[in-house]
Order: sequence, then structure tokens, then C-alpha cells
Amino acid sequence: MDGVLIPTLVSGLLLGSLYALMASGLSLIWTTLGVFNFAHGALMTLSAYIAWTVSEQFGLGLVMGFVAGVGAAVIAGVLIELLLVRPFYGNRNMMLITVMTTLAASTILERGISMIWGPRLKQLPRTLDGQVSLLGAPVSAHEALIIVLAPAVLMALWWYTGRTRSGRSLRAVGQNPGSAALIGIDVPRTFSLAFGLSAALAGLTGVLLGSIRFVTPGLGADPLVNAMIVVIFGGLGSLGATAGAAYVIGLLEALLVLWLGLYWTPSVLFVALILVLVFRPNGLFGKAT
Amino acid sequence: MTRLLDITGLRAGYATVPVLHGIDLHLDAGEAIGLFGPNGHGKTTLLHAVSGLLKPTAGCVRFDGQDITGAKPSAIVAAGLVQAQQGNTLFGDMGVQETLELAAFNTRARSGWQTRLEEVQALFPRLAERKRQRARTLSGGERQMLSIGCALMCNPRLLILDEPTLGLSPRLKGELREAIAEIARKGVPLIVVEQDVEFLLALSSRLYLVEQGEIARMINRADAPDHKEIMEMYFGEQAH
Ligand SMILES: Nc1ncnc2c1ncn2[C@@H]1O[C@H](COP(=O)(O)OP(=O)(O)OP(=O)(O)O)[C@@H](O)[C@H]1O
Ligand SMILES: [Mg+2]
Repeated sequence: MDGVLIPTLVSGLLLGSLYALMASGLSLIWTTLGVFNFAHGALMTLSAYIAWTVSEQFGLGLVMGFVAGVGAAVIAGVLIELLLVRPFYGNRNMMLITVMTTLAASTILERGISMIWGPRLKQLPRTLDGQVSLLGAPVSAHEALIIVLAPAVLMALWWYTGRTRSGRSLRAVGQNPGSAALIGIDVPRTFSLAFGLSAALAGLTGVLLGSIRFVTPGLGADPLVNAMIVVIFGGLGSLGATAGAAYVIGLLEALLVLWLGLYWTPSVLFVALILVLVFRPNGLFGKAT
Repeated sequence: MTRLLDITGLRAGYATVPVLHGIDLHLDAGEAIGLFGPNGHGKTTLLHAVSGLLKPTAGCVRFDGQDITGAKPSAIVAAGLVQAQQGNTLFGDMGVQETLELAAFNTRARSGWQTRLEEVQALFPRLAERKRQRARTLSGGERQMLSIGCALMCNPRLLILDEPTLGLSPRLKGELREAIAEIARKGVPLIVVEQDVEFLLALSSRLYLVEQGEIARMINRADAPDHKEIMEMYFGEQAH
């Protein structure tokens, strides 16, 4: 058992890191606009494909690929907000309408990607070569980088939303758009900012994921459901709670795969989510009301 | 005296309900004016139409010679016209100090924000004592102070206060009124909505009675002797 447990925990940590990156992007939009972006996964996929084209096809290297991938995701994210979310702002059913419009964006992006890049599997090169040892288990340096990078990105986001003018303006708009406007914050611009930042996170995650898994049109959409579970599990809001939930879900998923296998793992995760919400309606780490 | 705010023929409302039926009102630099009138007759609607939260359907709002009718709220604040909302809840999960710092958001407000913060804290020492407390846990009076403090942090060239003492105890009412008088003494032009006509008369040079979405009456302080009459008229109007 000992020989399996440590690698399982490490892979749980890796999963948790990926969920943390995805969920923080989702929760950035949720806390600012009160909507879920179902195209978040498709933005990850788009970024991975663009990065692949620039880095492998054009041979410009992974750094340029990274920049192009993240840039493309940001442009697509801002366009989604502008065309598919903003027209419904202030609508009583905004939440539900944007579930549909962002799902539509996700489908269109995925189909477009299949059309342009075809069905052949692609893979991005790793950011770092070689192996390191984590808790005595061998891990690729690239995966170790993700495990280190996720908390660093979360800390940066925490600092940004808590300490900087523009980061604070995101929270202000999320809590009271009318009052935010009356202290001079441009509310629509802040929406674009939230979508752009979230898309940048999606782009970063997509490129990182694209060298662990094969780049397919479903690259980002596959883990999206779990990332949404993470956001709800954490209690829809604070960055710290979302991060905590990401690691809980990541580790739980890795252990469940070990104990129950892939087949039953998603069902058990959902049951766990429902139980948590029954006993703690504000999420695992959410504040009691 | 230059004309700071000039409102002519302003109409506004909600969805299909017109509320304002042509408002004319003006304010000169260095002046304070008061608005009063029965509940639900359009005072807040008028202020929202001026600050950009509500798009006017007709008429014109000029601020410092510039046409700001229907402009974005952020642009209006950037020009210096700042409003503290009635019963404002601000940002529930943000701390007092953080909120005040954020309120110095527009470019005109950024330089010298530290000095302004000190001024606000001198004006409302309670805010200085509660730097890290979240807005949602503040008392009604403290919230009003924070709301006015935020508006001051915007570096206003004209400050609009919508019922700043609504629902407060007499002692707190007095405290806030003293602070508002202090703001006026410092030379910040003010538009104040209040139900207490005596307070408005002491503060401002002119009073407007807003009724049925119109200016039913304009009263200059020079005519103050009949302020008893104003009271009678006001309560008389309210009775029916
Ligand atoms: N968001 C809204 N949608 C529809 N009608 C509204 C809205 N806000 C206000 N009204 C209506 O507009 C009219 C004027 O309201 P307003 O808030 O301007 O009055 P007020 O003079 O500020 O009253 P108070 O002294 O109670 O603050 C009222 O009949 C009110 O019901
Ligand atoms: Mg009102």
C-alpha cells in the first residue's frame, strides 16, 4: 500500500493545483458578475492549441507559444463578456441566460477548434525537463512546477484583489455595482477586466495542462465540471476557500480513483458535494450566515 | 459667481412610469441648496438622473458648463459631481479603511488622497477607530459616515447627500448635521435632501420643494421669516 499511497497523494496534489488554477478563474468572474463562465474550459483548450501552433508548427518556442495562447484566450474571453454576457446585464434571469450563452460559446469554440486543428492528438513540450523527488516519489519537473506555481498564482491573486486599486474595484463591483459606479468605478470596464483576467488564468492552465495530457478539443471542458464542483464546494466566494476546496477535491479524487477506480469516482464526488451542501449550505469553508 | 449646476426641463422615470415631469434647478459655485418634499415624490430619482445612475428621458444637466446629460456615472464622478446614496449599504465585505482608499478612484482624486483620508478621519473619528471593520457590521450611523466619507474621498467639486440622517437617533442626527455643516464651511458646494426644513434653512441659501415630480416651490433664505409657513405648507401638502 505504501508504495501506491505516496504517488497517489502527489497526483492528488497535482490535480488540486490544476483545479485551484481553474477554480480561481471561475470564481473571479462569479464574485464580480455573479455568473458562471461555462466557456472557461474551451478557453483553456483554445490557448493550448494556439500555443502548440506557435511553438511547434511555427517553431517559435514554448515561451512565444505561452504568450500567444494566453493572449488568444484573453481576447476570446473579453469578446464572450462583450457579446454574450453584457447584453443581459441587469436582466432578472441573467444567471440562467448566461449559463446558456456561455455554454453556446463553449460549443462553438470546441467545434471551431476541431475544424481548424483536426482530430490528430497533439502535445505541448514540457516547460522543464527532468525529474524531481517529492515526498520520496518521482515527479516530472514540469508537474512539480505546476504544484509550486498554483499557490504562487493564488497568492498573487489574493494580493491583487485585496491590496491593489483595480483588484479592489473588482470586489466592489461584485458587492454593489451601484455604489461602485458612484465612487467613479467604470462598471462595464470592470466586467471586461474580470473576464480578461479569468481568461488569462484559463490560458495559463490550458498550456500547462497541454503538456501533461494530449491536447484534444475536450482538454479544458473535461475537468471543468470538477472545477465548478470546487467553486461550489468552497462556498462561492473567497479565494482562500476556493483554493482549500481545490486541494480537498484533488486529493479526494486521486484517492477515490485508487480505491474505487475511474468509473465510480465522479458519482462519489457529486454525492460528497451534495452532502457538504446539506450540512454546510455555505460550502465547506464558507461562513455561516 | 459661476453657475456650477444647471438643470433644465429634466424628465426621468422607471420603465413605463414617469416620475420627474420637467425639473428646473440650479446651483452656483460655493453655494449649498436643499431639497425637501413628501416621500416618493421623486427626490432620489432626481439625484440619480443627475449622477448618471438613471438616464433622463428629456431635459439637460450641465455641470460646470459641460453637458453631462446621460453620461456614464464614472465620467460624472471624474468631472467632480459626487453623490452619497440614500441608505447606502456600500460594500458589505470590505473594511472601512479599504473602502475609503478605494473611493479615491478617479484620477482627480488620486493625488493627495492621504491628506483627504486624514480629513475624513478627523471629521468622523468613529471611522478611524474602525479601520478594519467590515461595512456590513457597521451601525446605521457609522454606515452613513462611511458613505459621506467615501464621497469626500472622490474629491468632489459638488457633493450631493441623499437623506444623510434618515433613521438615526437624535444624537447621531446632530453629530452628522454638524459634520455636514463643517463640510459646507470648508467651501464644498452641497445639495442636501432632508426632511428637516429647519436644518436645511440653516445650511443652504435656497430650498426646493419637490412634489409630484416637479419643483412645487423655490424658497430663498432671504425669505426665511416665513419658514413657519414653509413648515405648514410642507406638512399641509403631505397630509393629502
Ligand atoms: N427602481 C424603481 N423602479 C420603479 N419605480 C421606482 C423605482 N425607484 C423609485 N420608484 C418610484 O418612483 C417614485 C419616486 O421615488 P423616489 O425614490 O425618487 O422618491 P423620494 O422623493 O426620494 O422618496 P423618499 O423621501 O422616500 O426617499 C416613487 O413612486 C417610487 O415608488
Ligand atoms: Mg429618496
